[in-house]
Amino acid sequence: MANLKDIKRQIGSVSNTQKTTRAMKLVSTAKLRRAEELARRSRLFAEKTNAMIQDIAFQIECTKMGGIDNRCFTKIETPKMVDIIFVTADKGLCGGFNIQTLKAVNKMMKEFKEDKVKVRLRGIGKKGVEFYKYNEVELFDAVIDLSSAPDMGRAAEFITTSINDFKDGKTDAVYIIHNGYKNMITQELHVDRVLPVDTDSFDCSTNTNSSLLEIEAEDSEKMLDSLLTKYVEYNMYYALIDSVAAEHSARMQAMDAATNNAKEMVKTLNVKYNKARQEAITTELIEIISGVESMK
Amino acid sequence: MDTLNLEVVTPSGLIFDGKAVEVTLPGEEGEFGVLPHHASLTTLLKAGVVDIEKEDKSVESIVVNWGVVQVDEKKVVVLVDGAVAIRGESESDIAKALDAAKTLLSDVSDSNLAIASVSAKIESAAHKLV
Repeated sequence: MANLKDIKRQIGSVSNTQKTTRAMKLVSTAKLRRAEELARRSRLFAEKTNAMIQDIAFQIECTKMGGIDNRCFTKIETPKMVDIIFVTADKGLCGGFNIQTLKAVNKMMKEFKEDKVKVRLRGIGKKGVEFYKYNEVELFDAVIDLSSAPDMGRAAEFITTSINDFKDGKTDAVYIIHNGYKNMITQELHVDRVLPVDTDSFDCSTNTNSSLLEIEAEDSEKMLDSLLTKYVEYNMYYALIDSVAAEHSARMQAMDAATNNAKEMVKTLNVKYNKARQEAITTELIEIISGVESMK
Repeated sequence: MDTLNLEVVTPSGLIFDGKAVEVTLPGEEGEFGVLPHHASLTTLLKAGVVDIEKEDKSVESIVVNWGVVQVDEKKVVVLVDGAVAIRGESESDIAKALDAAKTLLSDVSDSNLAIASVSAKIESAAHKLV
């Protein structure tokens, strides 16, 4: 009979877990919708900033001999020191979401090490920070509660160190690695080089209105610099909100799978319970019958 | 009446998108106004107030902490980092917006003079609304 009770307890425990996972799934669905909306709205800023940087860069390219000499635009062929900023979630229970990011970071670090490039790791998100702490890898700095509540001000503050070090020549490139949102069921890993800015993607030939642009020459460099800083800050912020959206979609999926698994498990446990109950009844009947038989 | 298309974009989304008769912007080298058919220009903005005169003659004020503006004949695009629009249904809403605007300014500007002059401006804008 103890067996029956055990199974019953197991069923109870599994269906309780199922309740939790279902609730978590619903919460993530709601949060995902909000995060997605935020990401969608903020993309407009990126488009406009991009267009403006292109315009100004193009303008300088045309008016100045030798093109742009800003450090932010020149790709360094043999970097000596790079900054890697990774974004992970603060919480777990979201499938392989964090692991994917960390794997990419490790791979990149290994590649840089082979090329004898020094790497400075800067982390955002509790899970990633804990991972490196456990593996005794040194982090240059770490922020814990930023990835669950992205904020433009704090994101800017965080990346300013990287921007300044880059401008001062202490580092030769800045990378941001984060797991981004693709759609409700897929996440996409992004490895972006934010500094120096990739000018290859700028298409100057299609520029139609730049000839109309009127900027005072000495101003344009300063403006470009200011705009670039904002652009990089924005990229950091966008990585954060994109990561939040992806985290929720990953969690939603993981929790959906967990709920289904729990459902399946309750089903098998129920069958097992019924079998055990039937068995117990049969045994009892046999006992009674054989008792009666022996009294004849 | 001639109008220009104005867009004010922040990292968290579009906060103003519509037609305006005149826009006054806090340029790096001083305040300037933009009317429709203004010559193309791109310039930096400092912390201050963007005043938008709309088609119905009403004026909307948006406080910004940094920005870049791109003007051409037909449209004006303002990219800002942080912005607070001074508007609201009730007096308490406006007071709230005022407070938010003041914290936004005190974060960027360390000169009290600049803060004071902008604060005076937004307060007068708020008074007009009440």
